[in-house]
Amino acid sequence: MAVDADVVRLRRGDLNALSELITRYQNRLYRYLLRIVRQPAEAEDLFQQTWLRVVEKIRSFDASRNFDAWLFTLARNLAIDHLRRIRPQSLDEPLANSWHSETVADRIPCKDHTPLDHALAAERRTEISEAMAGLPMMYREVLSLRFEDEMKIEEIAQVTAVPVSTAKSRLRRSLEQLRYALEARYPGGTWQ
Amino acid sequence: MSEHDRIRELLALAAANALTAAEEKQVAEHVRSCIACSNELEAWQPIANELRRLPTPQPSSWLVQATLARAEAKLTEQAEHDWNRRVMIAVVAFAWLLTIASWPVFHSVSGRFGSLLEPQFSPTQFGQTWISFAAFTALGWLAGGVAAVMLAIRQRGERRLA
Repeated sequence: MAVDADVVRLRRGDLNALSELITRYQNRLYRYLLRIVRQPAEAEDLFQQTWLRVVEKIRSFDASRNFDAWLFTLARNLAIDHLRRIRPQSLDEPLANSWHSETVADRIPCKDHTPLDHALAAERRTEISEAMAGLPMMYREVLSLRFEDEMKIEEIAQVTAVPVSTAKSRLRRSLEQLRYALEARYPGGTWQ
Repeated sequence: MSEHDRIRELLALAAANALTAAEEKQVAEHVRSCIACSNELEAWQPIANELRRLPTPQPSSWLVQATLARAEAKLTEQAEHDWNRRVMIAVVAFAWLLTIASWPVFHSVSGRFGSLLEPQFSPTQFGQTWISFAAFTALGWLAGGVAAVMLAIRQRGERRLA
């Protein structure tokens, strides 16, 4: 695995390297935290805490290892501690009410050709976002890591601190749960 | 568990591209001859595709700037702390060196240099020399300690103001 030059520079205390890393990971990290805690204000706070923890621990990080997995593990640990402290029930239970807050990114049109295609695609995204937000934390997390961050099963296992076989079965269960949720919420829809 | 059931369990993971090469091959071979599994795999595809296309919520530029500022302050504070620690170690090492080196100088000045090695050396004389030397050293260390504490308090105050 190639050693990340910015990580090596940050270990030496280079401020520019820190800026580079924050810029590079800002979207992925914020999205991951938001998927876990679901509240933008909490995700923002955890985003800051994660980078402070990175600065604090960077010298104990082995630069030849996977920085992505290490960063997400730090973020995950902080998020889980936060949830245990604030809303312990939220670690296992699905969200009670239908949650979906539309962001600017949600309104960005994708590569759909016609207005109808665009409307249908937006509807499907809303449906899947809502169904995903209703899943328990560990299922939301694994879906986000696989589909949004495009992590391999081995990396997901590393971040979530479980064996590869567990990560794999968790991904399968999360997809099954998501499908059940979609079918239950939108009977007769495109998900069946 | 039959081969069909085993493959069926892999279909969601196949849509997620999370199978090993061997599993992928098994699934591909099976769905060619099993219409039910082929349909099931097809049913997973739109879910997997939509998950990949979910919009990415972006942090505000204010958040990124604030994070950068806080993290930089922490990095600077850590660098300062490291520098202070290195200076402290150097000062302590220098103080010990000075203490050890001052032993013969102190004896030489007081005209008792080498008295420890003399056969007529008396324990009382050694006791007096040792007490004076210890008092001299302790005074030096005390002054150094007070200076270090004052410096640390001042630095902390400056950091708080900044």
